[in-house]
Amino acid sequence: MTDTSMSGTGVASASPGMPDRHFKRRSKRLRVMFPYLLVTPAVAFLLMITLYPGAYAIIQSLFYVKFANWQFVGTENYRDLFGDREFWTALWNTFVIGGVALTLECVLALLISFYAYRDPWIKGWRIIFLVPMLFMPSAVAFIWKLAFMDGRVISDLLIRLGFIDNNIGWTSSIWLSRLTLIVADVWQWTPFLFIIFVAALQGQDEEVEEAARLDGAGWAQIFWNISLPMMRPVIAVAVVLRGIDIMTMFTNVYIMTQGTPGGTTETISYFIYRIGFKSFNFGYASAASVVMLIMTLIIAQLIVKRAFKSGKE
Amino acid sequence: MASQRRKKNESHLFRYIILGAWALFCLVPVLWFLSIGLRPRTEIITQQPIYWPHFSLDAWHMVWTDWPMGYYLRNSVVSIIGSVVIDLVLAIPAAYSLARYTYRGREDIGFYILSTRMMAPAIVAIPIFFLFKNMDLLDTVWALMIIYAAINLSLITWIIRSYMLDIPKELEDAARTDGASDLRILWEIIIPVILPGIITAGVIGAIFAINEFLFTLLIASTKSAYTMSVALANFTGGSDGVIYNAIALVAFIAFVPVFLVVVAIQKHLSRGLTMGAVKG
Repeated sequence: MTDTSMSGTGVASASPGMPDRHFKRRSKRLRVMFPYLLVTPAVAFLLMITLYPGAYAIIQSLFYVKFANWQFVGTENYRDLFGDREFWTALWNTFVIGGVALTLECVLALLISFYAYRDPWIKGWRIIFLVPMLFMPSAVAFIWKLAFMDGRVISDLLIRLGFIDNNIGWTSSIWLSRLTLIVADVWQWTPFLFIIFVAALQGQDEEVEEAARLDGAGWAQIFWNISLPMMRPVIAVAVVLRGIDIMTMFTNVYIMTQGTPGGTTETISYFIYRIGFKSFNFGYASAASVVMLIMTLIIAQLIVKRAFKSGKE
Repeated sequence: MASQRRKKNESHLFRYIILGAWALFCLVPVLWFLSIGLRPRTEIITQQPIYWPHFSLDAWHMVWTDWPMGYYLRNSVVSIIGSVVIDLVLAIPAAYSLARYTYRGREDIGFYILSTRMMAPAIVAIPIFFLFKNMDLLDTVWALMIIYAAINLSLITWIIRSYMLDIPKELEDAARTDGASDLRILWEIIIPVILPGIITAGVIGAIFAINEFLFTLLIASTKSAYTMSVALANFTGGSDGVIYNAIALVAFIAFVPVFLVVVAIQKHLSRGLTMGAVKG
């Protein structure tokens, strides 16, 4: 590392002569290598924690694993997996729950940030709206598990308001069960999008807004024709980041529904966990991991790279 | 004119109805959950929900005497601070390299670092479990430290990189003509200037670490590695069922410091949460 500091002076005082030229060549190579050296420790650490497990999962997925006993089975795990209804259900659920929650979060966050961003008390609103996001997800899952299921508070409130007559069995129906997961996610994570959208709206040029208003444009028109196009890259980045987290949803399922009724609220993460750490069928779970990994890589290449490019420029 | 003013007042009213309703939706469950933490167990799961409970500190005593809350706190704090320190040591040079040099493969390296953020914990959960098992690190804070550092490294690198890109190049060039080396420039000029960005990155990393659930669930099996996030799920006492008032209190014990720190870095929050893609 100290070599680089010397290289600076070495170049400055370079004079013709064998030892110096030798030194110069070495320092040049070092200068070329220097940025790689800086980034290497981080990349090495990440490779250890992604490449090794990735390779391990691929190999393990070709075996039937019973504790320390590995038996090679070829692609049997994959064939079983693609014929497994539980796997497809989990995949479908992940998209349904994630898609509905993400859409709701995005619409709500846009609506609220639209009404909040020029409000004189925006600082106060921001702190209030942030609160749900700052609880641990496991705690949030318990809040809603108690409200919906164990404490029957939501049913009680709905009865008092006259919407329903009897307690609702939230885990007895597929859609009600999914709904509890969606509510918990929307409650906790709409603030994430709100904070980002509000920052983007506040950064928008006030003069453009003022000019449009003088031309007779209403708030809604300004939002639709000026703010929204301006926010598109921001929305893309925020939705991609939220989408990644929502597609890996685990905590809420683990605490609130455990996949009930009949596996219909199981997400893909929970499916892998259950097969691996409850049924101890590690080879099979690894096959599911590999499928999920491939999907992640495709999504990463197609969507995420583009979103972050457009967000930067 | 008068009708216009009335229209304006109406739109104000509508705005405050929307914002007020959302504020209630955010806060009512929180206040109700706080009331759960401050009531006796007999008033939590009842035939009819009780909205005005008797005040009780049962849960507070229970958390500190029946459960090793001190250990949970220690494990959370040690693993989180350790992971953030590891991340800063790795991320600052990496971010500097990505922000300040042009070289072959830079974009790909940057995107690789970013893409690890997308890796679902479930994908790598099983191999990581066996990795730590073979290294004899299961149920230790060291394993948690390593895994939290891995989860947050991409985030922290990208946030810091974004702040570094903002520094005008002239600042460095001036120092370089004075003969300062690259590492000295990083240490003496860049780091002090982007300190708010580094703090933001550290805070957001710490929050993600507090929240982490799946890996902690797999790694920890006793009080020597349980963190608050996973300990919550263990507040069940056999026939007693889920012990909600203890859960609520632990939730608030974790919430208060997070809330205070986030309010302090509020200005940088949107930028941090988008890994630098949005400048707040």
